[in-house]
Amino acid sequence: MEKSVEAEGLSKKFNGFTVLDEMNLSVEQGQLYALIGPSGSGKTTFLRILCGFIRPDAGNIQVLGWRIPNFRVQSQLGYMPQETALYPDLTIMQNLEFFGELYDLPHDQVRERAEALLQLVQLENFKNQSIAALSGGMKRRVSLVVSMIHKPRLIVLDEPTVGIDPRLRVALWQYFRELTQQNISLLVTTHHMDEATRCHKIGLLSQGKLIAEGAPDELLKESGADSFDEAFTALEDRAKEVPA
Amino acid sequence: MKSWSISKNVFRRIRRDPRTLILVVLTPLFFILLYGISFSSTPKGLKLIVVNQDTGQASIRTEQVGRVNVPLNLGKKLIENLDHDVFTIVVRDDPDEARREVEMGEAWGALLLPPYFSNFLVSEALRRSGPREIDYNGQTINALPPLPPVNENNPPQPPTLILDNSNPVIAAGVYPAISKAFTGLIYEDESTLIDSSLMAIQPVYEKPITALDYTAPGVIGFAITLISIMLTSISIVRERTSGTLTRLLIAPVRAWEVSVGYMLAFLLIALFQAAELLLTSFYLFGIRFNGNPIWVFLIILIFSIGLQGVATLISTLAKNEFQAMQFILVILIPSIMLSGVFWPVETMPSSIQPIAWLNPLTHANAALRNVMLRGWDLSRIIPELSVLIGFAILMLILSIQSMKRQADTV
Ligand SMILES: Nc1ncnc2c1ncn2[C@@H]1O[C@H](COP(=O)(O)OP(=O)(O)OP(=O)(O)O)[C@@H](O)[C@H]1O
Ligand SMILES: [Mg+2]
Repeated sequence: MEKSVEAEGLSKKFNGFTVLDEMNLSVEQGQLYALIGPSGSGKTTFLRILCGFIRPDAGNIQVLGWRIPNFRVQSQLGYMPQETALYPDLTIMQNLEFFGELYDLPHDQVRERAEALLQLVQLENFKNQSIAALSGGMKRRVSLVVSMIHKPRLIVLDEPTVGIDPRLRVALWQYFRELTQQNISLLVTTHHMDEATRCHKIGLLSQGKLIAEGAPDELLKESGADSFDEAFTALEDRAKEVPA
Repeated sequence: MKSWSISKNVFRRIRRDPRTLILVVLTPLFFILLYGISFSSTPKGLKLIVVNQDTGQASIRTEQVGRVNVPLNLGKKLIENLDHDVFTIVVRDDPDEARREVEMGEAWGALLLPPYFSNFLVSEALRRSGPREIDYNGQTINALPPLPPVNENNPPQPPTLILDNSNPVIAAGVYPAISKAFTGLIYEDESTLIDSSLMAIQPVYEKPITALDYTAPGVIGFAITLISIMLTSISIVRERTSGTLTRLLIAPVRAWEVSVGYMLAFLLIALFQAAELLLTSFYLFGIRFNGNPIWVFLIILIFSIGLQGVATLISTLAKNEFQAMQFILVILIPSIMLSGVFWPVETMPSSIQPIAWLNPLTHANAALRNVMLRGWDLSRIIPELSVLIGFAILMLILSIQSMKRQADTV
């Protein structure tokens, strides 16, 4: 199967401090991959390397079959950054229309997709509201919609569910899973193990190293823990015991 | 009192940001040093054309030996007397050619000394002083004032100064500097006998150009610089700090498309502001506007492209709006001080004149003045426009490069 993301031996240091340590990770086409790790473990750094914003010190990364940075990747990649990244003075719809234009989408198609996605994130009644007047969680949801407006083949989301209530969270993961049926690949970071049950694959990141990887039930079995929350701790402890 | 904590916190944050600290300490010094160094009231190196047709002979009536011819060479002496710091002297033969050069703005003035210059000066001196003893071939004889001219309709031609009066500061410097050269030309003791009042002055521009007329084009240029650079750089910095730049650069948008997109928007704003400035200064203050407004807008358009580039560069170097403001200050202060807007580049010390000529505002200002004050058209502002086009292209390239680099660092 073709790989949407393939990273080998990625290393990155900031000011001598190792943030990514020979990290290997691959996401297959049509896969929903959750990258889970505590704060500061290097999730955002990995995604920024994937998007071509920073160069790794060592290692290779291919996205949709191209070595990045590559301009052709960009039209097929959707990225939701960790910060809000919207124009606060524009309305939701204006933001979406602008970013849609950047992907050469016809106007009515942008509006159509925007309506559908806003419905999904329960913001259809706010589309003419300016971003500045939205709550934190609402902004996150708009940001999510922006990153999917152009029907990307690979969607990379940096903690999309922060500040979103449990019910909508479940619905979103459900939607992510549905997207994979259209052969869309998703790489999603989160802090919460319990969110990851709907994924095809989970990668556990700890101090810049991928310490475990596998389907949710595999990982649960491997850790010997009862719940996903405990599983992470157990696997992290085990990784520390065995020096790499 | 919490104010104390707030004050202390301001200082703590300044200390954490070395760039700000340096700027807080150095900006006032920088400002006043530049002012002190660049400001000087006497012009230097003004190009003055001299056409010396003086035969050098003076024919003098004397009591003892009748009319004698004395080779006085006053024209040559006058030229030697000119202050060579103030003037860069260029010698020409043809008075019409000299006049054309001044009209074309290639020199600030042309001093035309007619064929009978020496004769004319001596006659004038004797007319004013009455009979005088002079030394002639070793003997002292009495020189007499000239007889009234035979032909009243054809009086002897006085020396002529064709003066480019488009710059009142320079024009005001040229005249006294030439006057000084008349001092001691005939009699070393009597400086008042002969003076520059004998000189016929022909200003190139009829209506006197006021200080307001003179500074207005430069002030308009500076206003555009200030507003353009501030608006653009702050907008781009905000684009980055808000994270939306990340989204632009991850989309299939080229760095140049971002740069050019910003440029287009702010160019339109700059042109609108130029119209605002011009209309207000013209209708409210009646500043002189001789030329075609289309050229004024063309100058501002080309100049603004360069300014947008500068603004993009600033926005890449600055981490936040505050730092951007400081960069802007550091760029704008020298740009106004060393631009010839308020005092001519020609009056600056020769050591810093080259810096002033590197300043794009100097050329924008010169081009605007040429159109607004001198009423010149496109073909005559090509030199300034070429510099501005070069500046625009260079800045466009640099700004696109810096936007590409920005992609790596967002
Ligand atoms: N530009 C930078 N300069 C210096 N250090 C950095 C930079 N970016 C990230 N780091 C460091 O890299 C480490 C990993 O950061 P990263 O943002 O990738 O973590 P994360 O897993 O996304 O955390 P979180 O879940 O809190 O978002 C942190 O220790 C952080 O201090
Ligand atoms: Mg992060």
